[in-house]
Amino acid sequence: MSAEIRVPIEHERDIVTARQRGRELAAANGFSSTDQTLVALAISEIARNIVSYAKRGEVMLLALEETGRRGIVVIARDEGPGIADPELAMKDGYSTAKSLGVGLPGAKRVMDEFKLETQLGKGTTVTMKKWVR
Amino acid sequence: MAVPILKQEDVLIAQVQAILSDDDLNQLKDDLSNRIGRARSRGVIIDVTALDVLDSFATRTIRGIAYTAKLRGANTVVVGIQPDVAFGMVQLGLSLEGVETALDLEEGLAFLRNAANSRGPRVR
Amino acid sequence: MTVSDRQRSLQSSMHDMGLTEEAIERRKRIVGLEPADLGRIAAVKDVVARGAEEFMATFFEFLSKLDEARPLVTSHGLLDRARQLKKAHLAAMVQGEYGTRYVEQRLELAQLYARAGLEMLVFLGAFHHLLRAIGSAIMKQFERSPMEGFENFMSLQKVAFFDIGIIVDVLVMERERTIRQQEEAIRELSTPVLQVRDRMLLLPIIGVIDTHRARLITESLLRAIRANRAKVVVMDVTGVATIDSKVANHLLQTVTAARLMGALVIVTGLSSEVAQSLVALGIELSKINTVGDLQGGLEEAERVLGYRLLRNGDALPPPTMTEN
Repeated sequence: MSAEIRVPIEHERDIVTARQRGRELAAANGFSSTDQTLVALAISEIARNIVSYAKRGEVMLLALEETGRRGIVVIARDEGPGIADPELAMKDGYSTAKSLGVGLPGAKRVMDEFKLETQLGKGTTVTMKKWVR
Repeated sequence: MAVPILKQEDVLIAQVQAILSDDDLNQLKDDLSNRIGRARSRGVIIDVTALDVLDSFATRTIRGIAYTAKLRGANTVVVGIQPDVAFGMVQLGLSLEGVETALDLEEGLAFLRNAANSRGPRVR
Repeated sequence: MTVSDRQRSLQSSMHDMGLTEEAIERRKRIVGLEPADLGRIAAVKDVVARGAEEFMATFFEFLSKLDEARPLVTSHGLLDRARQLKKAHLAAMVQGEYGTRYVEQRLELAQLYARAGLEMLVFLGAFHHLLRAIGSAIMKQFERSPMEGFENFMSLQKVAFFDIGIIVDVLVMERERTIRQQEEAIRELSTPVLQVRDRMLLLPIIGVIDTHRARLITESLLRAIRANRAKVVVMDVTGVATIDSKVANHLLQTVTAARLMGALVIVTGLSSEVAQSLVALGIELSKINTVGDLQGGLEEAERVLGYRLLRNGDALPPPTMTEN
């Protein structure tokens, strides 16, 4: 199993780095070009959430292997203000700052598994997985 | 990487590079807005052939560019969205509504030519 | 394939089949292979080792007489490797070690059988002949104490059944894999994208649309738009079994994705019942260009592309003025 890849997210240009690393990892693990694009897109959205709301954090990427299937996991962590109403944040069209309001729910739609953990004042962690089909 | 803008007759062509950061996009928005005025352009083409991802921020900014250009008298066409990119956008729920699209640069130019013709001859 | 590649691929097959150490122990329990058997197997070790060449010959001779086994016995690469593995099998069968390494060897041979398209029935027949030959040799050895010979053979037979279990599982899995691949191929075939004219595509959708199929349809349409430089797509949904809100949303996404690539989609074949139920469901279809039937849709597409249809003998309409 390959080692994890960590991309610190501080500036908006780090978003580009994170999604490129994600695409490379997806390609190396046998994802189709369409699915590589979806992975890159989801990373772009959650990394931008970090830049917009938490100022700094990191995106961690890891190849996955479970009984008979391969995939990748993306974990985006920040120690920002947290999300006051996670349920609302997961609703399409909801946004407080500069996203289109598709960020989190959009990322959830293009990935296979999605988990949002947030604590006010402590930060937010998004864990998403996608499997090779 | 800044986005180079070429001028072909009364059309401005922005050639987006493979790596496009938010800053580059914002810069492009300002550059285009300025140059439409200076060059009295009637059309803007944003060529995204080289791009492998168009996320919500990029989509929103491009829409912003198109609306601004319209207010300054220029039509905008986004050309060269790749199959995977288009697929990803609709999966995410993005549609570039209200912005014209064309297959590639050639088609984009043809579209702007038609739009100009149907508007009638320009007063010179 | 290098040795380490082969090893890696075997390990991943073990993984895919869930052949963990626990699973292997469970398989042993099922065939009743116990520590007490090991002593009895050791007692026939020499007989089996001495006759190994002959037993192997019995196995492959049986196969060579069957048409069904032709791909295996006529391919020298496969046959040589099969002989090699079978010989190793006979040696390992009486070693008393039936752990991961032993199972890996069984797996490799089973995969070879699967590649050669060996039917389960044929394999079982050959294996039966092999066991019979081993059984006769053992009984001859224990002529004076046939009960002991029988007990020893029965212990060895537990190993044989343990082996058969693995081989059968691999053959079944391979068959399922083939079926899955065929299903996938059929699904791909069921969403053809046809070029009707220059820059014009026809996408007839037939059958049931689920998320997976909607994705395939969209992907193949988008690639076809690029490859054919299509400007207009006629999407005919006459043959779609049911159009509920979910299917409608899939179709809407396909239309939107095509538009992002600069292609106009004309949807045809929405029956009035479907149209009414979509309206009742509150689904926004105003963004979609619809034309009642396929013919109308094709004509509309031609109009968009600037074609004019003329019947032979009709007078040519005056050319429209073009600006120069």
